[in-house]
Amino acid sequence: MGRQTLLLALANFLIPVAILVFATGFFPYKPFMPGLATFEALGWEEKFRWTKTPEPQFDRLVFMVVDALRSDFVFGRESGMTFVQSLIRDGSAIPFTAHATSPTITMPRVKAMTTGSIPSFLDVILNFAESDTTSTLATQDTWLAQLKAKEGGNLVMYGDDTWLKLFPGFFERADGTSSFFVSDFTEVDTNVTRHVPEELLNGDWNAMILHYLGLDHIGHKAGPKSPNMIPKQVEMDGIVRQIYDAIENEDHLSNTLFVLCGDHGMNDGGNHGGSAPGETSPALVFMSSKLKKITEFMDRKSPVDGKGEGGMEFYKKVEQSDIAPTLAGLLGFPVPRNNLGVFIEDFLYFWDDGSDRIQLLLRNARQVKRIVEATFPSLNFDDKVRDIETECAGELSSGENLACRWQGVVQIMETVATIHPKLRVDQIYYFLRAAQDVMSSTASNYDVSRLILGTSISLLSFGLTFATLLPTLSMISSTGIFYSFTLILYGVLMFASSYVEEEHHFWYWTTSAWFLYLFITESRKQWFPKFLFHPAIMLLFLHRIIRRWNQTGQKYAGAPDIVHSPFLRGSNSLVLWSLIGATYMDITIRLSRHVARTISDGDSPPATGEDTDKERFMGTLAVLPLGITAFMFKLAFTARDAPELVQGITAGVLGFVEDLSLVGVARMVFVGIALSASWIGISEWRRSRGRRGMGKGKGKEGVSGGGGDFAPALFDLLSLFLITQTRAQNIPLYLLFRMQLFFLTLLDLPPLATTLTTILLTQTSFFALGNTNAISSIDLSNSYNGISGYAISAVGFLVFVSNWAGPIYWSIAGILLLGGYTRSGGTAAKVLDAKEIAEETKGWVVAEREYLETLIDKDKHAKRSRQDGGVFRQHVAGLSLFTVGAVVAVMAACTALRSHLFIWTVFSPKFLYAMAWGVAFHLGVSVGVGGVVWWVGSW
Amino acid sequence: MSPTTTATEAPKVKPPETPIEHLSNDTAKLYTHIHPILILSLYAFQFKSIVADPVPALLNTLVPLGILQITYVAVCLPPIGSDVAPAAEKRKPGEKKKIAPGKLVSGLNGKIIPAFISLLVSTLAATPLLMLTLIFFGAPITTHHAHTLLCAAHISLLATLPLIYVHGVDGERWREIVACLLPIDEVYGCLIGTVLGAWLGAVPIPLDWDREWQKWPVTIVTGAYLGFVVGKLAGGTFLKGKQMKFE
Repeated sequence: MGRQTLLLALANFLIPVAILVFATGFFPYKPFMPGLATFEALGWEEKFRWTKTPEPQFDRLVFMVVDALRSDFVFGRESGMTFVQSLIRDGSAIPFTAHATSPTITMPRVKAMTTGSIPSFLDVILNFAESDTTSTLATQDTWLAQLKAKEGGNLVMYGDDTWLKLFPGFFERADGTSSFFVSDFTEVDTNVTRHVPEELLNGDWNAMILHYLGLDHIGHKAGPKSPNMIPKQVEMDGIVRQIYDAIENEDHLSNTLFVLCGDHGMNDGGNHGGSAPGETSPALVFMSSKLKKITEFMDRKSPVDGKGEGGMEFYKKVEQSDIAPTLAGLLGFPVPRNNLGVFIEDFLYFWDDGSDRIQLLLRNARQVKRIVEATFPSLNFDDKVRDIETECAGELSSGENLACRWQGVVQIMETVATIHPKLRVDQIYYFLRAAQDVMSSTASNYDVSRLILGTSISLLSFGLTFATLLPTLSMISSTGIFYSFTLILYGVLMFASSYVEEEHHFWYWTTSAWFLYLFITESRKQWFPKFLFHPAIMLLFLHRIIRRWNQTGQKYAGAPDIVHSPFLRGSNSLVLWSLIGATYMDITIRLSRHVARTISDGDSPPATGEDTDKERFMGTLAVLPLGITAFMFKLAFTARDAPELVQGITAGVLGFVEDLSLVGVARMVFVGIALSASWIGISEWRRSRGRRGMGKGKGKEGVSGGGGDFAPALFDLLSLFLITQTRAQNIPLYLLFRMQLFFLTLLDLPPLATTLTTILLTQTSFFALGNTNAISSIDLSNSYNGISGYAISAVGFLVFVSNWAGPIYWSIAGILLLGGYTRSGGTAAKVLDAKEIAEETKGWVVAEREYLETLIDKDKHAKRSRQDGGVFRQHVAGLSLFTVGAVVAVMAACTALRSHLFIWTVFSPKFLYAMAWGVAFHLGVSVGVGGVVWWVGSW
Repeated sequence: MSPTTTATEAPKVKPPETPIEHLSNDTAKLYTHIHPILILSLYAFQFKSIVADPVPALLNTLVPLGILQITYVAVCLPPIGSDVAPAAEKRKPGEKKKIAPGKLVSGLNGKIIPAFISLLVSTLAATPLLMLTLIFFGAPITTHHAHTLLCAAHISLLATLPLIYVHGVDGERWREIVACLLPIDEVYGCLIGTVLGAWLGAVPIPLDWDREWQKWPVTIVTGAYLGFVVGKLAGGTFLKGKQMKFE
């Protein structure tokens, strides 16, 4: 007994260890070079008579980022940005498509643009853990740091506060806007634009950064084809015109370079994060009338048609990281240290002297070579001419190839001075481009031994969990077979990218079969005359609605679902809100019963456990404010976050809720939940003490009315918290979940079947709430509930809860099913027809009282099994075996497929999700919170 | 358990069922092996047109499938109530009557008529139920109604027609069938195989191969046909007489 618990504890302890070891090998922490770059000796100075750095072409920079500005939004034929297009035709603007690498979310993209490095996938995690000092760029070399370090360097910044988080203390003047409400299309942008005229008159800055969020918000809300999209582009175009005109007309701005770019694009659904052509192809435009010098012979047609996959490639394609060295050259500062970008060739022609061009590129190459050298310390990258005929023949590793190309640079620099500069330039590009390729490809970065070690540790954990389950598994049962079948098939599917993308299908499919299986097993025991209303069939029916609620996955993204159907939208939003109201009502009524019980405690003997009408009334009175506040919060939040969902609501109500302070109301809800929990908790604890005392006196347990009442109370309070953290359109799902829980109660499942049901429904509910295995589907809208500032742990916690709300619900519901806490209520309800569940609760309570008597025996039995830790341990072991099995499969898939085309788009995000499932969900919720609920149930 | 739920008597009271044996004449012995080959050939022959345009092709295939299944049950299987089937010995006399005049007429008629009745029952009663089941399992509910209905009809002809032929429409017997309480035999194997096959047929749909045959309901029907053959073989041979055990 004790040994098995110990083994299980050890196995669970190994889960985070394995995940951590694997993660360090899979997302290797790239060492970055600290400090600011300076102009260093280049070598060959005398030969080329380099006495100073090439003359900078500009002394000021306006860097305008428009979030999610996809290439076709600027260059395409349907673009609203006619002014930019006229500049292209005029030769005052040079357009590019800047390739953004996955993950295409703002923070890593800003990192790429400012440092010139290629941020690793680790930045996705750090994106949510921004207090980590390594993720701010304060200590890193960026073009911001370089411009600030210049004489008279002053930076100003308006727009997305990501910049303020990344560059703390960098800006002389700044006004950050947070993208808190995606429904906000205008205010986020006017907040930026209002500063522009004033700043254009100021002469004290040498770089102004603007980051507009409105276009991204439109994308998230309604996709790239939204009717709001073109007007927004026209608005952005107007700002470009305003700035460009100022640069033309103001003397102090005459040497200003104006860059317009997107940080990433968007896919056809308006989301981003992955690597679809639309997501990775933001626009990049350099603007200045001085550019006419170099655009004379360039193709200046505009608008044009896109090329490439998805038609997203316009003009020349460059890497996003190329922005940093290009700015360095044009504004005359050293290339940032960790840069892997390449100076864009078109701009070389600003310098008429060939040796200036060579010097500029060589500075870029020297800096990149330093990183290459650090990556391949065993290879020779020095500046001596060697005989490379033999060395560089035949098959070369990527590192050797780079060494050879560098040697080529050295040789051509050494040769006679009279050769055409173009030859040298070409050779340096030949090296730089290869270096960029090699250094940005990820395959070389894995620490395979750690990958294998991590997988082995998780395998060991799997073995340990399996050992604790051996006694159960040695008896072959059909439930056990179903469990093993699910686990094995799931493990196999983790190796196929489509099934990872479409994982929800697996769970929907398995869960349907499981409910049919339950129907068959129940039918073997007894035949239910109205078999269409059999609990298992009702479960199947509810499951069918739940799986249709949100369309998820990649293959059929955007296909019709219930949430987007006209039944719940537009003028019908009253239907949606009635369902939401019913969900809140249901929880409030349940809570009022819990509170009523605690009041009845004082004046009636606990053995009866009955609550009178007066007490029920008092209970309702006590929890009603909480329920109403929670509902009001949801309404107020939705009115701001998703106004299209509240269209049918009368203006009076909306006017009232729109004045509410969201942070304050959210805090009231959370505090209310905490207070109710402690109130009920204290009184239940006293009751249990009282019962125990009585039990001693009478020599038997006081069974009726008590025993584990706190567990369902906690569950109901938790549900209230979870729906507060859920988007409004998903809240009716909890009503369906509650009905499923009711039918599951009727089925009275044995422990192993309960464990399997818990696993299936946690997974099903995760996907039914609209989640996928892609980064882009993470819902951040509820992550600031009740928080006014940025508090990393609180935000992280709320993000987890709002995305895993369904699984948390079912994990705790599984504990209730396991302990049979809902059983008494459920069996009492069995007399009611299945259709009468939503009926008025009065009759329910009467029935409950009548049946309590008959259930004493059963309750005793259930209680005994509760007190026996064995059941809970088995449950945890069953959940652990699945979790660890999934972790093993995902790790093995990531290791085996590490050179797969989709490794960064499909398998890595899946691993991130597996981390969350394994650590936060399994250890934190299933074992942690579940353990607490189980424990309070034994009071 | 609950007093208001009128549970039917536990089936244990009745004598254990014995598996259905096919008829002992040579034609039956031979045809029972040819039948799955014919079924598969029919499906393989129609596969291309089913992929190209499922609704008319599935509809057209129903006719030869029905003929094949009728032939199969009439040639190989004992109809309900016949003496050959030991399972039917304890039938109520009222039900036996239905067959008794048939015996007086030619043996052929005694089989063909029940076979046609089975066809009728399986298309009219079992198909809607199966369609409902398909929808519960995730078949499209707002579109593709004809597809789903035809898919259900195919499953119904494959799985339920032989069962109706040998077991009739007795509610009690069908409860045993649903609850997996009957011993496995060739006919029961057909049902289990077809249903499992149709369920497994959904597996390839989410793959990103973008093939024509991944569309609804081609994989489901294919799974059902393959499952039918496997189930029939397994039920008729090594699983024969086995009782399914749960828990």
